[in-house]
Amino acid sequence: MTGSALLSTWFPEAASTHAASVDEPFYWIYFAAVCFLALFMGLVLIQLRVYRRQDRDQLGAVTGRPNPVFVTLWVAAAMGLALFGFITGLPGFINQTTPPWGAFEIDVTASQWAWEFTYPNGHVADTLHVPVGRPIRLNLGSTDVSHSLAVPALRVNKAAVPGREVQAWFEVTTPGTYALQSNTFSGDGFADMRSELVAHAPVDFGAWMEEVSDIFKGRTLVEVGELLYTRHGCAACHSVDGTKLVGPSFKDLYGYEFDTIEGARVLADDAYIRQSILEPNISVIAGYQPIMASFTGIIDDREIEAITAWFKTLSSKGGAAPDAQEEN
Amino acid sequence: MSVGTRTTAAETQPSYLADKRGLGEWFSTCDHKKIGLMFLGWTVFALLVGSLSGVFPVAKSLGGRGLEPRFIFEATTYHRLLLLFLFLVPALPSVFGFFLLPMQLGARNMALPALSRFSLRFYVIGLVLILVSMFTGPIATGWTLAAPLSSTDPGSFILVAAGLFCATLSWFLTGINIFVTVHYKRAPGMGFFDMPIMAWSLYLTSYMLIAVGVLFGVVIAYLAASRAGDVGLFALNPGLWTDYFWFLVTPSVFFALLPGMGVVFEVVAGISRRAVVGYRMVVGAMITLLGLSFLTWGVYLAGQGQGQDPTTTLVFSAISLLTAVPVALLTYGLLATMNQGSIAGDGPDTFMVGFLLHGGIVCLMGVFLASPAPGAYLGTTMFVSTQLDYLVWGGAVFALLAGLHYWWPKMVGVEYSREVARIGGIFAIIGLNLALIPRLIMGTQGVAQDMIAFVDGPAGLSELSALGWLIATLGMGVVAGNLYASTWSGRKAEANPWGAGTLEWRTDSPPPEKNFETPPEIEGAYRY
Ligand code: HEC
Repeated sequence: MTGSALLSTWFPEAASTHAASVDEPFYWIYFAAVCFLALFMGLVLIQLRVYRRQDRDQLGAVTGRPNPVFVTLWVAAAMGLALFGFITGLPGFINQTTPPWGAFEIDVTASQWAWEFTYPNGHVADTLHVPVGRPIRLNLGSTDVSHSLAVPALRVNKAAVPGREVQAWFEVTTPGTYALQSNTFSGDGFADMRSELVAHAPVDFGAWMEEVSDIFKGRTLVEVGELLYTRHGCAACHSVDGTKLVGPSFKDLYGYEFDTIEGARVLADDAYIRQSILEPNISVIAGYQPIMASFTGIIDDREIEAITAWFKTLSSKGGAAPDAQEEN
Repeated sequence: MSVGTRTTAAETQPSYLADKRGLGEWFSTCDHKKIGLMFLGWTVFALLVGSLSGVFPVAKSLGGRGLEPRFIFEATTYHRLLLLFLFLVPALPSVFGFFLLPMQLGARNMALPALSRFSLRFYVIGLVLILVSMFTGPIATGWTLAAPLSSTDPGSFILVAAGLFCATLSWFLTGINIFVTVHYKRAPGMGFFDMPIMAWSLYLTSYMLIAVGVLFGVVIAYLAASRAGDVGLFALNPGLWTDYFWFLVTPSVFFALLPGMGVVFEVVAGISRRAVVGYRMVVGAMITLLGLSFLTWGVYLAGQGQGQDPTTTLVFSAISLLTAVPVALLTYGLLATMNQGSIAGDGPDTFMVGFLLHGGIVCLMGVFLASPAPGAYLGTTMFVSTQLDYLVWGGAVFALLAGLHYWWPKMVGVEYSREVARIGGIFAIIGLNLALIPRLIMGTQGVAQDMIAFVDGPAGLSELSALGWLIATLGMGVVAGNLYASTWSGRKAEANPWGAGTLEWRTDSPPPEKNFETPPEIEGAYRY
């Protein structure tokens, strides 16, 4: 039947719990609107025929007043349609603006012209991976112009604007890969603002998360060290170019000797660096405050090894590159 | 009474077209009819260029090669800028405000004839500046000129801003002129409630043109300043631009149907030979609509996804629901006027039907967009940009065509072929809907607004839409060709071919330069 064919072409296949609260009001309004339009246009066309001028000098009825009953009915019908549309669409809207507690949170940063999805464990990707059957909350922001994040299959469409954090949430019902795009024109590369949302079954999502979270995969030790430097916010207090910030610079740190505030002298070797990260305030370098927090339980041994390897590359006393060492 | 006795102009007076000919006269004229006719020419030219630049995105959507994305964005930007700011907003009030208004009021000219000339000149300067920028360095900011995008665009943004500034100045001057003319130029004895509905709709539109014209001009100047010298409001906070833009654009663009409604009321009353039924109700509804138009801007702002807080969105949606009341009253007035009329069923009626169909679709689409959950999803999709398409071609163009087919005998003094007009009109209606309904579906499918060129939506929709455009273009071509051909067919029009009851039909077709020898006597808005 063409009618149902036309109905089914309006929306892409629904893949979220939210979809029904968009589609159903839409179809109700659609149905009512078509009836309304047909009634109105029918009345126009019928009257054009019925009251056709018969001869040149014929006049229309001389007097005429609005019929109060018809006016009331017509206004009530129009107002009714508008109100009905508003009320059917309300629950879905309210539901969409109140993310449930305990949702899985992902930070979304839009920029010209790429997406950046940051997971709770710090993993960053340019495609959005989520588990099925669990509420997901997106914290949207932009670094430059206005963007928006739209996933038509989930009926999600939210702004990502600079200087304002906007939240969106959804719960995917069917595993699969769905198109994700921006609907807000953002300049020449706009067509590149396309990505994907991959919805995994819960088990698969866990596996995926574990795999991509293994930062040692596909990276050398030095690269991991540098990644940890940005990811754990060391950059706020430590520079890599010799500039003195709140903490000492990492440039020319490894292999050098320093005075502590107790007047002792320490050599920055592997063991010392490990101690400085896990228990930073045991020996505090002279000229600095003991304000660095311990990273015990946050950075593990292997990662300390990576950081140390990276420190060596920043120091003139670091020796040969660690990769070369490994080969020996 | 026969039609002839109504003519108050002396037989010996030459028509305004025959009187004082020559290019110099047209350049320096202050005659409202000549200015109205020139506005018709220029706004239709803007419509043509604007529509043509929309061909490139369509070509791209059909797989056209060698069209760079940047070029497509430029084409889309100019497509919208020209259609909305140089056609949709100014066309109806300037063409009919100048050509028709003084005659409907029984006056000889606008109240400020010299200003009429400047309205036209600023419009043309604005249009030319924007067209020049297409060659010196087209911009690709999108038609909303979003800041900070507009401050980094490599194109000749300042030229476009200057062009838009001149255009809005022209809106403002036109608004002032209409306002003063209505207040001071009504024929002796004509009260406000003796004005035809068309005059009312122009009068109410003049408030919009004055307010929006001046404010829009100012914010555009600010936007240009923030680009040129990093000064002013939008340099400090580019995000503000979006709020200002939608606050001003929503009333001017989405309520451009107000003068269109006036045209259609006039056509219906004229061809039905009947006074508008519920005249005061209709006027009241139009006033309400004007008031509400300034309160509903937040709906589109929300739709544009600026991340405003949900409560604000809901409040604006709720306010916009109220527009249902005046719209219902207006449509009721139309239906009731046709009822028991004596309807001359050819000529403007096809276009009137087209306007009502498309205007109805625009209003009903408003119900979808004001419904919170579907509105949030559809707000930035092609569903919304298609509403603009319906407004421009379905609303303004069809209102203009209905008006032209009604007043053509008055404007140029000849009769066109009514059969050809009808056939062309029917093709245009079918074609337009075939072109736009697939775009509505692309919108619900999630295609971004105005991004027809970068779609991989359901197969076949782009092709179907392109076919629709082809049919619509053919239909419009037939309609326009028919009007043009009428000017040398030489079938001279009567003074009052429809037997209509407003003042402009009491003078010759085409009217002499002074319209009326003696001020016409007034007996209500419509006298048959
Ligand atoms: C809140 C600021 C702050 C942050 C964040 C911070 N540190 Fe520190 N760090 C300091 C300060 C201050 C000192 C010097 C005083 C001391 O030794 O405790 C220091 C000392 C150190 C030292 C010893 C330097 C030397 O010259 O002997 C190492 C190694 C170090 N930090 C590593 C790190 C790493 C790795 C991170 C990130 C995982 C990090 N820090 C994050 C403030 C910070």
